[in-house]
Amino acid sequence: MAAVLELRNLSLGYPDLTLFKHLSLDMKAGTTLAVLGANGSGKSTFVKMLLGLMDPLAGRLHWPSGRPGEIGYLAQLTEFDRRFPIRVRDLVAMGAWRGFDLWSGLGRGGRNRVAAALEEAGIPDLADRSLHTLSGGQLQRALFARVILQDAPLILLDEPFAAVDQSTEAHLLSIIKRWREENRAVVLVVHDLSSVLDHCSHALLLGNGAATHGSVAEVLTPDLLVAHGYLSQSQASWMFRGSIEQKGQAHA
Amino acid sequence: MLELFAEMWSFAFMRRAFVATTVLSASVAPIGAFLVLRRLSLAGEAMAHAITPGIVIGFVAAGLSVMSLLIGGLVAGVGVAILTALLARKTILRSDASLASLYLIALAAGIFILSAAGSAVPLKSFLFGSILGIDDASMMLVGGVAAVTLVAFAFLLRPLIVSTCDPIFFESQTRRPWLVDQGFMLLLVLNLLAAFKTLGTLMAVGLMILPATAARYWASTITGQLVLGFLFALASCWIGLTLSYFFPETPSGPAIVLVAGGFFLISALFGPLGFGGRLRKPSPGAKPSVEQSYAEERIQ
Repeated sequence: MAAVLELRNLSLGYPDLTLFKHLSLDMKAGTTLAVLGANGSGKSTFVKMLLGLMDPLAGRLHWPSGRPGEIGYLAQLTEFDRRFPIRVRDLVAMGAWRGFDLWSGLGRGGRNRVAAALEEAGIPDLADRSLHTLSGGQLQRALFARVILQDAPLILLDEPFAAVDQSTEAHLLSIIKRWREENRAVVLVVHDLSSVLDHCSHALLLGNGAATHGSVAEVLTPDLLVAHGYLSQSQASWMFRGSIEQKGQAHA
Repeated sequence: MLELFAEMWSFAFMRRAFVATTVLSASVAPIGAFLVLRRLSLAGEAMAHAITPGIVIGFVAAGLSVMSLLIGGLVAGVGVAILTALLARKTILRSDASLASLYLIALAAGIFILSAAGSAVPLKSFLFGSILGIDDASMMLVGGVAAVTLVAFAFLLRPLIVSTCDPIFFESQTRRPWLVDQGFMLLLVLNLLAAFKTLGTLMAVGLMILPATAARYWASTITGQLVLGFLFALASCWIGLTLSYFFPETPSGPAIVLVAGGFFLISALFGPLGFGGRLRKPSPGAKPSVEQSYAEERIQ
């Protein structure tokens, strides 16, 4: 699989705070990368760097096939102004705003794509609703529909399941699964070790000034989670008690 | 009564005032709408004060000509906008505190220079506007600014909507997001200058903010916000100018802004997104009300 993005010896942070150093990884098409870490470990900063909103302190980002014209992006819900006077279909259409005609806006083809995205996100009946009448889960579905419309090879999702119920989470995960099948690269910032990880091929663990990247099984070990300050020793012992016991028995 | 209106309409300066404010309403309505939606209402007010020294220095140097007004105001407005951004980026102050500090200095400097120069123009008309001051050159200024604003909005409207609704998404989708911000600020300064003769420096922003905030209580779409904002601005100008004519001691600026204030209060009381919406009980099975959604938003 071709790499969409290559990071080489990358350090990220601010002039007076280095979040991590020496990260190298290849983000390949068709992979899903979970970015995990404690609060303040640099998860959202990492996403902002990928979006080009800030530069790394050192190292290099390389786009082997050129930087995509469009990067699908879903910010945290807390950063969104829900009182803005706009309908759901217009919010979704923002995913294609650069293709709008100056006077007539979205053409028939564009309107059909908006309708299809709303359908796929499971909210075709909310198209004419104002944003302020939506619940958190409904708004998140609308924002997912906007990402669908962006039709981007690289998709960045910053804590997409923070304010949604289980059924919405399951529906949104099915969309992420389809993106992977369509050979898109997906970066998924998650705050907890949840069922989301079953849908990820790789993980990037941030914290304590370091970054570790690899397959989910390689990265999410009790030792690494404790070393990056994501779990305390006792939390790790409790969470991984089954696998530790199995290891002990195998050792005996 | 009709005779009084006919008498008012017989004066060329009144006809000019009506035409100028009608064009001005079309120009300031979209600016006001986005000032409110971008949460820049107070920044707009501050900017109106910040351009004062530029206008005054232009006036003292070259008299009350449209060019001196335009150049002086633009230099002061753009200067304050750049200094505000610099202070916010390079020092501990946030942009609101930076802008507040700069506009206070600018306003004080403007009034000081105007008084020290012993100007022949009454301070009252400078601060609050005068319908008598609308000459042909002022009409040209208002018309030119309106044309520039409306053409610019044809290009800026969609980027403005995206950047206002979801600024982080917008920044992620464009290499030069500052172009929209700075373009909007430039249009704001131009419109403040266009409104200066009719409304004065202290009241100029009133015609932008109050019709927009009044429209906010009724409109749930951008189109509705823009159209209603224009209609409120237009009605405020026409009624305000009429009041100013019937009460000759009244400057036109406060009269127009006071009428706009009336629209705001009525909208806050009766608009579906104001107190009026809160008093209505939702019917069973109805869509969630605005206040339910706000409550939910706060909980989340």
